[in-house]
Amino acid sequence: MTQNRWSFPDLGLGVGLRTPHYAHILSENPDIGFFEVLTENYLDTGGRPLYMLDQIAESYQVVMHGVSMSIGSTDPIDFNYLAKVKALATRIGALWISDHICWTGVLGRNTHDLLPLPYTEESLKHSVERIKVVQDYLGRPLVLENPSTYLEFAESDMPEWEFVRRLAEEADCGLLFDVNNVYVSAFNHGFDPVEYIDAIPGDRVCQYHLAGHTNKGTHIIDTHNDHVLDPVWELFGHTIRHVGLRATLLEWDADIPPFEIVHQEVLKAADWRHQEVADVA
Amino acid sequence: MSPELERLQRWMQEVVVHPGTVEEAIASPGAELEIPAVRLAEVVLPSATMTPSERIGVYHGMYLMRMEEALETDYPVIRYHLGDVAFSHLVEAYVGQYPSRSYTLNRLGDHLPQFFLDRPDWPQAKLLHDIARLELAMTQVFDEEESPVLSAEELEAVSPDAWENARLRPIAAFRLLDFRHSVIPHLVAYHEDRPSPNPRRRASWVALYRRDYSVLRLELSRAEHDLLKDLAAGTTLGEALTTAAQSQKSSRQQARIFKWFRTWIAEGLFTSIEASPRRTRRCLDRGGLGLGA
Repeated sequence: MTQNRWSFPDLGLGVGLRTPHYAHILSENPDIGFFEVLTENYLDTGGRPLYMLDQIAESYQVVMHGVSMSIGSTDPIDFNYLAKVKALATRIGALWISDHICWTGVLGRNTHDLLPLPYTEESLKHSVERIKVVQDYLGRPLVLENPSTYLEFAESDMPEWEFVRRLAEEADCGLLFDVNNVYVSAFNHGFDPVEYIDAIPGDRVCQYHLAGHTNKGTHIIDTHNDHVLDPVWELFGHTIRHVGLRATLLEWDADIPPFEIVHQEVLKAADWRHQEVADVA
Repeated sequence: MSPELERLQRWMQEVVVHPGTVEEAIASPGAELEIPAVRLAEVVLPSATMTPSERIGVYHGMYLMRMEEALETDYPVIRYHLGDVAFSHLVEAYVGQYPSRSYTLNRLGDHLPQFFLDRPDWPQAKLLHDIARLELAMTQVFDEEESPVLSAEELEAVSPDAWENARLRPIAAFRLLDFRHSVIPHLVAYHEDRPSPNPRRRASWVALYRRDYSVLRLELSRAEHDLLKDLAAGTTLGEALTTAAQSQKSSRQQARIFKWFRTWIAEGLFTSIEASPRRTRRCLDRGGLGLGA
């Protein structure tokens, strides 16, 4: 078990900040470690969303999680977007800024999907160069999430976990390790999720994600619409043993239930954290 | 830059955003230009349970669903008026013409009013254009920067001889709209879950504004609209009120102007007043505006 190399704190347990929960959070002040903010929802608003976020950021630790950095895209880097991300991070005191190992569009378009990269030397080099540019601009390490994917490119010449490890090491960036995504991709592509987890450089992991998913029989979709399933909890335990304790966040983005249910779900992670720490000790 | 990666991404995007079935998308001219359909298996691997086309079909199938979800959020009244099938058809046509070029889906629907102008043959295009303008303005008002609201005390502080040349500035979260159709009944029907009314071609005027972070509306007469338009454009109070008074024939009608004005001030439509003290021929005083203490 290691600390991450930037000494980003273990914030305990957190949930994604979602609009239906604003009123509850501000009136009830739930005891929670941190909130993760969907970056793009707050970049161009001076209205209620930003007003709510400002209040929540005064009382809680916040981290930012984006979906449009498109770090693997062959389009030019959008510095207008990055300027807004940087300004928001400063405004709310975000402890770190994360996004995904993916691309979202080319030729000026945005599909608003987290599209998969081929795991090749070419795309690795391309992404590493862009991460360095973005980190220089933001003046802080970027934290990138391993994706959930539904296809594999024939030209890939390394497994995803090797791509993720080398990307983090060569770009000198952090990782947001999504345990559910590993489970989803392992099911979809038929690899061993434990092998993936064991290959992850623990000192680069800054945060964990947990979420529910939907099994379609032939494949699993990362839907974030339900409770975390048992096999994902098991993998979470294994990840803690390998990597250590990190800020742990539950994502619930569709069919969003009342805040208490989301909160109760992430509190289950506390049992795993205590158990695994006790086992290692 | 990496040419192979560029080609692969252009191809995948062509497939993902193409309407119709995934097979049609893979065989579309845009996709074929990058990677011929017959070479699909050389690009995407099968899994134990899915073919290459089924695997990329997962992304293809989710694209329009995501676009529809975003547009439904910003245009619930149009979605309600059209129903599921017609709205899906609209979304497909719209994003084909105006795909997202922003980092945020919140701006995806910005061109919907223009889309109905581009496609006058679209069923109910003129009505939908009006409703789209209303709903787009609501999203803009929702997201505008917060402005301080002009207070009664600030108005009181304006000296009487400065009123005529004073200019009001509206809050940022303010939009003034004129329609060819009666659109508010469609909004009300949606909120009350009642059947959407039949289209009614009748001019209507609405002011949208934000107070306490909620989007509110004032339904206006043409005269109210015209006066508010003048004021929002920076016309002096004297000129705007004189013009408005000329359009109101009786003294009773003219008195209504000051009632409107008081309502707009009370609702917080203005953020500031710029007044330079200069006595003019026809000086309005605070008492005349009905704003005196």
